[in-house]
Amino acid sequence: MRTETDTLEGRVRRALDGVHDPEIPACSITDLGMVERVEVTGHAVEVDLLPTFVGCPAKDLIGEDVRVALRSAAEGHDVRVRFVHDPPWTTDRITDRGRERLRDVGIAPHWDRPDGGPIAISLLSTSSPVPCPFCGAEDTVMESRWGPTPCRTQHFCRACRNPFEGFKEK
Amino acid sequence: MPDPRLGLVLALADDELVLGHRHSEWTGWAPYLEEDLAFSSIGQDEIGHARLLYELAERLAGKDADALALGREPGEYRHAILCERPNGEWGYTIARQYLYDTADDVRLASLEGSSFAELAAAVRTIRLEEKYHLEHAGQWFERLANGPVEARQRFAHGLEGAIGEALAVFEEVPDEKALVADGVLPRSNEDLLGEWLGRLGADLDRVSLDWVLTSHTGADGEMVPTSSGEIEAGPTLTVPGVERRDGRWVHVGEFAGQGGRRGRHTEDFAALWEEMTGLYRALPGATW
Repeated sequence: MRTETDTLEGRVRRALDGVHDPEIPACSITDLGMVERVEVTGHAVEVDLLPTFVGCPAKDLIGEDVRVALRSAAEGHDVRVRFVHDPPWTTDRITDRGRERLRDVGIAPHWDRPDGGPIAISLLSTSSPVPCPFCGAEDTVMESRWGPTPCRTQHFCRACRNPFEGFKEK
Repeated sequence: MPDPRLGLVLALADDELVLGHRHSEWTGWAPYLEEDLAFSSIGQDEIGHARLLYELAERLAGKDADALALGREPGEYRHAILCERPNGEWGYTIARQYLYDTADDVRLASLEGSSFAELAAAVRTIRLEEKYHLEHAGQWFERLANGPVEARQRFAHGLEGAIGEALAVFEEVPDEKALVADGVLPRSNEDLLGEWLGRLGADLDRVSLDWVLTSHTGADGEMVPTSSGEIEAGPTLTVPGVERRDGRWVHVGEFAGQGGRRGRHTEDFAALWEEMTGLYRALPGATW
């Protein structure tokens, strides 16, 4: 019996899982839920990707890395990769493994909010319910809604006194 | 005959591109690090939104997105004049961001119901990011309006300078009647302006800054002819007709700083255009 990894689609999916976001190298694009559609036909492999943020500067680079990976995984096939925006990417798409990997590098994955809107913060640091990815404490503050990339925020843990980042809720 | 939807999509895209470019000018210069990051990120978001909209316009225009973003003459840009004004001081920057993003919110909320399905989908994606811009503007609105006397004065001065041109974000787009009839524009710009003025008036009333709606200074740049050659020189800035009727602010007259939707811009845009499109014009098709 052929297992999934033997099939072309299996090889394509494994290749996609080997492509990482250059701004979050710990996570593959699969972990981040960026792969929206994979279609393998007789001659072609088509992949639709969702950018985390529309203006993500790593988008073109990721698209090129995916093309290179697929050309080798699906040799002889026509490789078509495109970014789409419908449905919109949201933080809910990050997989459990992705969340684990984000925490490992000090980035809190998204968190549940009671009201569905952005978490209210004042301009100064204030309490926020984002658990620290290092020690799990909830005694943390959001220091800035804006971080090193458009998709990340900056926080501080009062318990273990580590700065950490968060994935901006979408 | 160009597709009537093109004028609308270009107006939306050009607003985001040009204001995003202005926001990016704070990179390295904002009053403190978090604001440097905020304006850099908001600028990056806006330029990303512009790119998404230009990709939508490619099909309507028969030109690629880069050529639309960077390969047009100044008189072919359709953004509101508000977006091209220099950042000035912090009070103006925040006033403009607040006015633009609240206006954009009213416009985008309506476009989620557009009969142009790809545009409606793009707008839904864009709004997930715009909520953070609104939050940023709202926090600064409170901080400056309720801040120390000098902060409040500078913010009020910024609002006075920007408010007339902010109304013209809702200037009619070309072929608006046809777009409304087809449901591409679910509501007319005049209708959206009414909603925005209501929200803006309520915000300003609450902090007793409503007087900026009638004492605005207008903008200082002169209107200049653009390269299209169609536009005659001469100042056309007029006081926006805004009146309080039955406790509500309503629009009753001309727009100040109108003309952006028809390619009419100020000399402030000439300098921005030179810089923004310089590389594209020097090395068309360059990649790096």
